[in-house]
Amino acid sequence: MRQLLRTWAARRLIRWAVVPRAALRLVGPLTVLLAWELSARLGLVNTLLFPPPSKAFADLVVLVSTGYLWKALYASLFRVVCGFALAVTVGVSLGVAMARIRLVNDFVDPLVELLRPISPLAIFPLAILWFGIGDGSKIFVIALAASFPVILNTFAGARSIETNLIRASRSLGATELEIFKGIVLPASLPYIFTGVRLAWGISLIVIIAAEMVGATVGMGYMVLEAQQTFRTERVFAGIFVIGAIGFATDLGFRRLRQWLLPWYRETES
Amino acid sequence: MSGDPEPEFVRFDGVGLTFPGGSGRRVVEVIRQLDLSVKAGEFVAIIGPSGCGKSTLLSLLAGYLAPSSGRVLFRGKPIAGPGRERMMVFQQPALFPWLTTAENVAYGLKLKANRGNGRNVDETVAAMLQLVQLDGFARHYPSDLSGGMRQRLEIARALAVDPQVLLMDEPLAALDALTRRTMQREVLHIWEKTRKTILFVTHDIDEAVIMADRIVVMAQRPTFVLEIEEIGLARPRLREDPEVGKVARRLSALLE
Repeated sequence: MRQLLRTWAARRLIRWAVVPRAALRLVGPLTVLLAWELSARLGLVNTLLFPPPSKAFADLVVLVSTGYLWKALYASLFRVVCGFALAVTVGVSLGVAMARIRLVNDFVDPLVELLRPISPLAIFPLAILWFGIGDGSKIFVIALAASFPVILNTFAGARSIETNLIRASRSLGATELEIFKGIVLPASLPYIFTGVRLAWGISLIVIIAAEMVGATVGMGYMVLEAQQTFRTERVFAGIFVIGAIGFATDLGFRRLRQWLLPWYRETES
Repeated sequence: MSGDPEPEFVRFDGVGLTFPGGSGRRVVEVIRQLDLSVKAGEFVAIIGPSGCGKSTLLSLLAGYLAPSSGRVLFRGKPIAGPGRERMMVFQQPALFPWLTTAENVAYGLKLKANRGNGRNVDETVAAMLQLVQLDGFARHYPSDLSGGMRQRLEIARALAVDPQVLLMDEPLAALDALTRRTMQREVLHIWEKTRKTILFVTHDIDEAVIMADRIVVMAQRPTFVLEIEEIGLARPRLREDPEVGKVARRLSALLE
């Protein structure tokens, strides 16, 4: 009964509080856009450097209608998804292996600690030599940079399992394999998920930078090319798209977590 | 009891336990020359100064630790490791947070070791949840349950695999006073219904006197059995009963 009352009260509270809050959260960005638009129109700022946002959106419409945006977006997202998928696969396997097998940890951990502080872009010139100017070099640097948070979080998750959980399942009669599948993996999942979410964010950052350094197509290349031809409104249009993708996918990750880990209670922030 | 079939159900036979030192840690002798026998179906409470090794005693019986000397016997055989005939109920419930109440109880039944023992999973889960009065919470996650409910769920999960001994390591210590009293009745009720042997570690002397057939008083570390007190009083016993108070005072004098 108390439980029922609590969820009911919580639902009422959410309905009452979140809707106006969501609207409230739009006020900040809208104010900035409006102030920017006005100051551009009134000639308060150099429109060559700060074109009004309406011009950027107009250019976005052009990019969409000519299909140029889709080409760039497809190229970038393809690289991101491939690199990210590699990072998650390798990262989770290595993280679990490091947590479970001491020898693997002794071998891999120093490598991770040595490679992790190196900017992925420092390796990018080499990657171009190894894998060419096309997709291969980008996928490689993304996979490299994004695998670190996955490895480290998976390791932390698999290491921080309550001894009593393992003991309880051992008493109930679980084999080593059953403990791994039934306890170690699900217990690490919230950590793995955090690592994966971080990896996605890193992938999005790395791809833009890599495409600005060396590419012939992609969102990073599009923005850089616009800058070199002094089409600032296109630079902003590109930045808006990149921001929107980051925002939307992170929202998607949060939804995915609620669906995948309904039992997980994040400490209230 | 006349004609007890198994007087040597659980037996600690000259048990000693020393944790080896090394890498900056001191050698710690936890248990020295401990002898103790528990009969089948008995409710034994274990009390003693905090940190004396009461919980360690249960870990030995659960098979999480091996004695450094002497033997720990279960039905005449030395204990080789954890096994479902000796289930531990932890102080901080070790429930699986990603499983619902019903799934937690079903977990043990679905393991390879326990499959095909003739117990229907759904029926057993339903019966266990009813026994601990958690029917109606089958789909809740542990994080949605109160402290007392979690503790009852932990007991249900242990009982589901039909153990012969319940090892309860201060199972009620984390509960508030009121819930604790209710749970003492609950545990006794479960014990009377299932007739499982229970070893119950507690630091609450009153609790031990109200619940147990026998109370084992342990010494300061390195620990051994200081005294064993048979409680002949009829159940249900009340904290306010002067007889209960008398026993409790005598025991607490022993511990000072």
